[in-house]
Amino acid sequence: MDLYLILFYFFAIITLVSAFFVVTTRNVIYAAFNLMLTLFGVAGFYVLLGADFIAIVQLIVYVGGILILLIFGVMLTNKITDTDIKSGFLNRVPGLLIVGTFAGILIGTLLKSTWRIAAPLPPPVAGLVGIGNLLMTEYTLIFEILGAVLLIALIGAASIARKQSN
Amino acid sequence: MIYDSLIELLKWLSITGPAASAIAAFINSIFPVVFIIPFALFAVYLERKVSAHMQDRLGPMRVGWHGWLQSFADILKLIQKEDVVPAQADRWLFNIAPVLAFVGSYAAFAAIPFTSTYVGSGIDLGIIFIVAISSLVVASLLMAGWASNNKYSLLGAMRSAAQIISYEIPTVVVILTLLCVTGTLSLYQLSENQTGNIFNWMIFGGYSGGWQKFALIPFMLVGMVILFISTLAEVNRTPFDIPEAESELVAGYHTEYTGMKFAMFFLAEYANMFAVSAIVSALFFGGYQSPFGYVGKLLGISWLVPFEQLFWFTMKGMFFVFVQMWLRWTLPRLRVDQLMNMCWKYLIPISIANFLIVAFLMAL
Amino acid sequence: MKTYFENIYSALYTALVGMKITFKHLFTPAVTIQYPEVKPRMVERVRNRLYVNMDDCIGCDQCSRACPVSCITIETVKALPTDDIGKTSQGKKKALWVTQFDIDIAKCCFCQLCVFPCPTECIYMTDAYEFSELQRSNLVYKFATLSESEVAEKKANYAKLEAEKAAEKAAAAAAKAAAPKPAEAVEKPAATAPKPEVAKPEPTVTTAPAKPVTPEKKETDAVPQQESLPFSEPSADATVKPEDSTAAEKTNDTNSVS
Repeated sequence: MDLYLILFYFFAIITLVSAFFVVTTRNVIYAAFNLMLTLFGVAGFYVLLGADFIAIVQLIVYVGGILILLIFGVMLTNKITDTDIKSGFLNRVPGLLIVGTFAGILIGTLLKSTWRIAAPLPPPVAGLVGIGNLLMTEYTLIFEILGAVLLIALIGAASIARKQSN
Repeated sequence: MIYDSLIELLKWLSITGPAASAIAAFINSIFPVVFIIPFALFAVYLERKVSAHMQDRLGPMRVGWHGWLQSFADILKLIQKEDVVPAQADRWLFNIAPVLAFVGSYAAFAAIPFTSTYVGSGIDLGIIFIVAISSLVVASLLMAGWASNNKYSLLGAMRSAAQIISYEIPTVVVILTLLCVTGTLSLYQLSENQTGNIFNWMIFGGYSGGWQKFALIPFMLVGMVILFISTLAEVNRTPFDIPEAESELVAGYHTEYTGMKFAMFFLAEYANMFAVSAIVSALFFGGYQSPFGYVGKLLGISWLVPFEQLFWFTMKGMFFVFVQMWLRWTLPRLRVDQLMNMCWKYLIPISIANFLIVAFLMAL
Repeated sequence: MKTYFENIYSALYTALVGMKITFKHLFTPAVTIQYPEVKPRMVERVRNRLYVNMDDCIGCDQCSRACPVSCITIETVKALPTDDIGKTSQGKKKALWVTQFDIDIAKCCFCQLCVFPCPTECIYMTDAYEFSELQRSNLVYKFATLSESEVAEKKANYAKLEAEKAAEKAAAAAAKAAAPKPAEAVEKPAATAPKPEVAKPEPTVTTAPAKPVTPEKKETDAVPQQESLPFSEPSADATVKPEDSTAAEKTNDTNSVS
């Protein structure tokens, strides 16, 4: 068995098991930490695919940023001594319907699409330099718009957080 | 590279294929542990001695000559200690958190080149990887703080997370500045490039020739100071130790931990200290490179060079660890608002301005 | 804007100043005293553990009476005229066997009041300050040099002497006042033990010497009692009284010697 495959299954198991727990656990904190594992597993897939940069960005943005913020929020809003940090099940029927439809679509595409299994992997884009070039040439507009959106979000956050001067 | 020679060795032992690469990778990843644990023992001793002598005391003097075995005695004590888990704590997370903290700080060593022949992983995004993996430490601190079910722990964890996240920004901006100058994020590549003599170090403008080299010096200095301050804050050391401020929070996120779990946090802290020092030295002070030539090269003994490099790497790391201790026993703790002020109003604007100026200089 | 840069400057400058100071202190010699190996020098006239030079002690009991916390217990037995106890270093002749000289240092308040009254300067405070013990009873220092058997011997000797004296006196008194009550004086020695019995008749005989003598009899009674309760509180009363009596006896004794 190839080491690559072993690692792949390792990450797959981590991702799937932790994702399962994210959904099923009734404790929001547990869900958050399991989500961290899930994101790690996904980052592992990126590494296996040769996309180091994406994997690292995944870690920085999702684990280091969003997830920490999530945990922060949960911790700030709940009393620590209580155990009422729980999530429950609501609207089971519509939820099941939506999930079922979505899963059906996904499985359908999975079965219908043709997979190039034996094809050799394309040589990975030359890391950082390639991404930089792409961002500055082909995807400049998107890049700039995203930057502007983030800037607006930043200014908005700052203005909300700011004390009223009068 | 040690990994390749390990593969060769295994091939000679007629082990090939995935087993060989797995074994080689495992052995390869063991080296930092071999380095970190003695280092942590020594650093604990050094910390106590430095703090003592700065306060005109003697520090540990009982165990061994001038107390040099004190850390071993401490470890022995910690091993023997009862492992207490608070009744209302969340057992799972409480037990996982210290391991995760150490994993996070240990993973950072994967991208740090110890010598020109050893770096855990040849990843060319090394320094960014370290920044990314340090988020694991933040998660583990939050985990420890929450799982302890203790107000002090939780407050400490929150403060620590807020602090680390905030101070990641100036760190990354300084790293970007260096990326701008060198064009690489691999610490190994960075260290390799700063070879030759002391004037090729980034703090002296790097190895690029021309007038930019001299123009860069002041900005490199500013970058170095900012990087040092922000990494100091990221490892939660005084003057940025509000997450474990003894006078307010008992011990912060590890208040409830005892015995080996506490030792894990302690080990993680010292490993982080060294990792941060190694990053500063790799980015600005030539990493493992000798400030002058190598004796091994002079004598034609090629195997001596890596050992010399390891020596210089350790010495530089030690020096910055010492500076961290020095600062710890010099400066008082910052208040929370001062801490945030310093980051958002001083370090980030200055580092961004620095970045823009350097980018401008390099574009000329 | 100006303050902004001033802040940066002062932050860096003050940090560097502080670092300079701490760096200097890194090399200043430590003030630590490695205590058990290196001991701090005590000042002159330091008041620590009490010591009694038994060679000079005359058993006068003045220190015990001066003590505000009653931590000194002294018990003496008169020496026989034939005994040679020796002299103090100042040439004073000793007249008492010091059978017990206990200092309960746990009670001691280090006031040094016991030192001044001593006529021979044999009790004084030393600079020894490490005398912690695991057993509280070990903190009672016994300075008496006589062994138990010796003490018993001295006591017996003295009792014998007393008995002889009393017998003599009784005989003399009996001879003197034989006329009024001859029966009583003869009966009593036969009825009870010789020791207490010899003293008893005395008050009946003569009034003048009777006062100093009665306490002597009390003392002989109290001695065994006191030994059975070595350091407990109730014995304190019991010990003080006989010692008072011994002091009285001592004055009495010197009178008799001279």
